[in-house]
This record gives sequence, structure tokens and C-alpha cells, in this order.
Amino acid sequence: MASVSFKNIEKSFGTTKVIHGIGFDIVDGEFVVLVGPSGCGKSTLLRMLAGLEEITGGTIAIDGRVVNDVESKDRDIAMVFQSYALYPHMTVADNMAFSLKLRKADAAMIAERVNRASKILNLDPYLKRFPRELSGGQRQRVAMGRAIVRDPKVFLFDEPLSNLDAKLRVAMRAEIKALHQRLKTTTVYVTHDQVEAMTMADRIVVMHDGRIEQIGTPLDLYDRPGNLFVAQFIGSPAMNVVSGTVRRATGRAHVEAAGAQWPLDGSPGADGQAVTYGIRPEHLTLAGSGGVPGEIIVVEPTGAETELLIKVGEEQVILRTHGRPHVNPDEKVHLTVDPANVHLFDRGTGARLTA
Amino acid sequence: MNLRKVTTEAKLLLIGIPVLIWTMLPIYHLVLFAISPKDQAMGGQLWPDHPTLHNFEVVFKQQHHYLNFFWLQMWNSLVIAVATGLITLMVATGAAFAISRLKVRGGRMAMNLALLTYFIPAAFLAVPMYKTMGVYGILNNQWSLILAMVTIATPYAIWVLKQASDKLPYELDEAAKIDGASPLQLFRLVYLPLMTPSLVAVGTYALLLAWNEYLYAFLLLSSERDITLGVALGNFLAADDSPWELLMTTGLLYALPPAAIYYTFKRYMVGGLTAGAVKS
Repeated sequence: MASVSFKNIEKSFGTTKVIHGIGFDIVDGEFVVLVGPSGCGKSTLLRMLAGLEEITGGTIAIDGRVVNDVESKDRDIAMVFQSYALYPHMTVADNMAFSLKLRKADAAMIAERVNRASKILNLDPYLKRFPRELSGGQRQRVAMGRAIVRDPKVFLFDEPLSNLDAKLRVAMRAEIKALHQRLKTTTVYVTHDQVEAMTMADRIVVMHDGRIEQIGTPLDLYDRPGNLFVAQFIGSPAMNVVSGTVRRATGRAHVEAAGAQWPLDGSPGADGQAVTYGIRPEHLTLAGSGGVPGEIIVVEPTGAETELLIKVGEEQVILRTHGRPHVNPDEKVHLTVDPANVHLFDRGTGARLTA
Repeated sequence: MNLRKVTTEAKLLLIGIPVLIWTMLPIYHLVLFAISPKDQAMGGQLWPDHPTLHNFEVVFKQQHHYLNFFWLQMWNSLVIAVATGLITLMVATGAAFAISRLKVRGGRMAMNLALLTYFIPAAFLAVPMYKTMGVYGILNNQWSLILAMVTIATPYAIWVLKQASDKLPYELDEAAKIDGASPLQLFRLVYLPLMTPSLVAVGTYALLLAWNEYLYAFLLLSSERDITLGVALGNFLAADDSPWELLMTTGLLYALPPAAIYYTFKRYMVGGLTAGAVKS
């Protein structure tokens, strides 16, 4: 187990700069998820930590030791790839034992480690099989087993669940989390799926265009997104946003947008300021009258919840409710906004406005 | 639907039957001559009146002055073909691994040069090759033929193997690297086992190329004890009254080992050679 520290990391491919000075620390035993849209540099960052990419600028340290010039195999890390990267010509047991054999560990120790890993991952019945004889989920577990037997300082996961079907992905998500709770090995996990990030991470690092947008616990990011990008990236369905202007001069403070008045709680924003007004779907409710007027476009029942796509002026917003409201498309409705849950962002910079 | 199947089948047969006749005809001739007595060989019969294995006996016992070294020459062919196959494999595998997996500098240029060699017909290079082998001082030595054949086979072999290794997922190398494998361990423990089908195909290709070679073998080797069986067959035609029945018998025997090799490795050949053929 170990801490990891990134200091002012930069990366260029030729003349194209893809990572622009990233720095943060991961404490011992932490599960950190790097999340962002494709091309944001998250995988590149992970691969630099793994020693698979040169580091253009800055330093990466594992347990206080700078590893910029240390070879992958001497960094004491283990990595799980999106494609699993199992050796097709070796059995499950041999796949898991490969790294230890290369290190000339003695046979008894290898057997014991492989045994332990296969117990943890329920791979016992498959030890003699070849990867081609396994299902996707089983292959994924073998890839994890290969990482576990090493007993490394840091686990690296590069989009490990992307190749699995939706149901299996949810199951494996829980397995990986349970595994981490059991082993308590420092873990860096890369994904583009914010749900994975939310459900698994101790802390999330949201990246965009080679920069960090925000670092924080999942609920931190959800409740107090630092900027518009994070606000829209975290949460599904995404936060509703409308562009408008703050009005404080007359009556109750509100934002004028999409031809309606969106309530504000005392807090930020000066009169006349151009802002982006954000409200999560679950913080909108249907009301008999008053509030923001709209028109139902689509009703999407999911069983436990219902999502309503509603047209407000020229904008569209989504409302999520636990009930099963009796509304139909084209019906006129009124929305109540809970002003305590409003997020205001500067229209120019996208930064969160705080009082 | 069914009718379409029938017509497709018919079209295939229409192509297949002529091709079958086309390929089988020379073989039929070989067999016909080989089992005919000397005086009937040229008789123009479709099947001899008295089929005989006498010709084989003459060949096996080396009872004709053209056949004094039959077994030695067969052995020469075999040694040269096997050596060519092995050396080509060693060179081409190393090159393909370095270019495709280790991404060495200049790899692209090496590939382009390899391709370029195919614009020059091998016959064109015969005289320069003869000269070169003279400079090396290995004319009339079987090594000259082995090296010449390796030279001709290698570019194609590199090309095929490179294409095949490009298909191995790069994550495997990265996984092995993180697992602690050095490039040599990667080569030995991961690359070679996964490349086996292509290696067999390419090795067989080089082996058969050398086995079937005539021009270079004829040029570079001259002693009766050094030449390959292919060249020895050519020498049959030196006389006015060539013993056709013996020539054909020897030819038939000469054609058997490649057929056996091809048959043995058939499944690798088709898979391996087409594996490298198209870039997907």
C-alpha cells in the first residue's frame, strides 16, 4: 500500500499538448477515480503512472519515491486493462502466476498466492481453463486476479468494465469495490462513466481537456459542483441548465430565463449579472399553479421513478419524481423549484458563484 | 433461394472442374511415365498395358548414371530447404518483433525496403548474387544457395509476420511489461507462442521456396555431389536420348515431400498466410 503524488504533470505527443500541469495527491488506501469525457487525458495520466508513457514534465511519486525514470516492472504496480489483456496461450492459473514466475518466486509461494486470489475471486473451478473458454466477467476477474497475486502498492484500472454488458457491469462494480474494501490497496481507476465514478470512488478527479476541473468526494461533486462542466458531467440525467439574468431590484430575487422567473435563495449573483442557472431534475416538482410554467413533451416512467421532459419557453428541462404523476404530453404544467438546491454559474467563465 | 444455391454451386463447379483438370494433368503424366516400361512411355496410351514399379527400383538403387547420387541429392535438397526455412524464420521473426512490437526506429523504412525488393525479379539478381557469393568465396558451397534463398524469402516473410504480429493486441505487451517481462522474455514467453501458426506458415513457405528452386541452385552449385535434386533433374535433359520414364519417376519422388509438408501444415498455411494478407 502506498500514497501517490502527481506534481505539475505535463504530457505532449509531438507538438500536441494533452495534459497541462496536473497535480494532486492520493493517500494510502484510497480509491480514486479519474473521470472525464474521452480525450480528456485520464487514461494518459494513468499510463504515465504505470510507466507505459513517458512523462513530459513534472514528477510522479509512489510512496514518496519519484518514479519518472523507474521502469514499469519496478514501480510495484499492477494494472487491469479494458481488454483484460490475458495471455491467450496460458491457463487462468498460469496467467495469474506469470508475474511471480518472472520474478523467480518459489513454487510454493506462487501456488499459495494464486490460490488465495482465486478464492477471493471465486475462480477455483476455472484455474485450468484458457481465457477463450471464459465469459467476459470471468476474464475480468482473472485480470483482477493477476493484479492481486502481485500484492502491489497500487492497483491501476483502465476502464475495466467498458467491455461488459450493462448487468454484468453493475455486478463487477460491486465486486471491485468489495475487493478494495477487503484489500485496502491504493487504487486509481479510470472511467468515462460518471455512475461508476460516483458509486466506487472515495474521491473523484474530474478531468476535461487535460486539466482537472474538480477533485472531491462523489457527493461533494454532486452537491457543490465547482463549475458548469462538473455540474453537467456528474449526475444522470444531467443537471438542467438555463441561461438568464439575475434580477434583484424588484420583488423576490430571481433569474429571468426562458421567459420565466426562476427563484433564487438570497445568496449569490449581482443584479443584472449574466448567469447559467442550474437545477437537478429531482429538485423540480410539479405544482398546481405558480412557479415556472411549462408544457410536457415526453413522459418516461421507469417504474420506481418517472422522468418528465418539459418545455419551458425555448428551453427543455427534465423533472424526476418518485411518484407516477398523472400527466400527459402537451399538458400545461407548473414547476416549483427548491431555491436551496439552485446552482448558479457565471455565464462567461462557467465558475460556480458563491455568496 | 434454393435455386440461387444451385446456380452458385454450378458456377463453382464450372470453375472448379477445369482447375482440377488443369492441375491434375501434369501429375497424371508424371504417374503415367513413372509406371510405364521404357518402351511404352511415349506410346501415347492413357494407361500402360503392364504397369510396373521397375522405374522406382532403378531410381532407389541408383542404377543409372544420371541417378548415381539420387539419395545424396535428395538429402542436399532437404538440408538446404530446412536450413533456409529455419534461418528465414529466425531473421524474419526477429525483424517483425522489433518492428511491430518494440517499434524500433527505421522500422517503417525497413518494411518499405522489404516491399521494394519485390519489384526486382529474382532472375535479375542471379548474376549479382553469383558475383557476391564469389566474393564471399562460397561458390559451389551449399551455404551460398542457403544464403541466397534466405535473402529471397526473408522480405516476404518479414512482411507477413509483421502484419500478423500487428494483430496481437498491444495491451498484451504492456501487461507483460508491467508483470515484469524484459523484451526477451516478452519475445519468448508471449510473442512466440502466439505467433506459432504464422511461424509455421512462413517457415513452410521458405522451405518450399528453397526446395523448388532451380535457377539459383543451378548457378551456385556445380559438383554432382553438392547439387539439389531439382538441378539433377535438369541434367537429365543434357542427353539426346533422355530417360523420360526415370526423369518422371524422380520428379514424382521429388514432388512428394512438399506435398507431405503442405498437407501436414495445411491448417496453418491457409490461416497464417491470409492472416497477414489483409490489413484489418
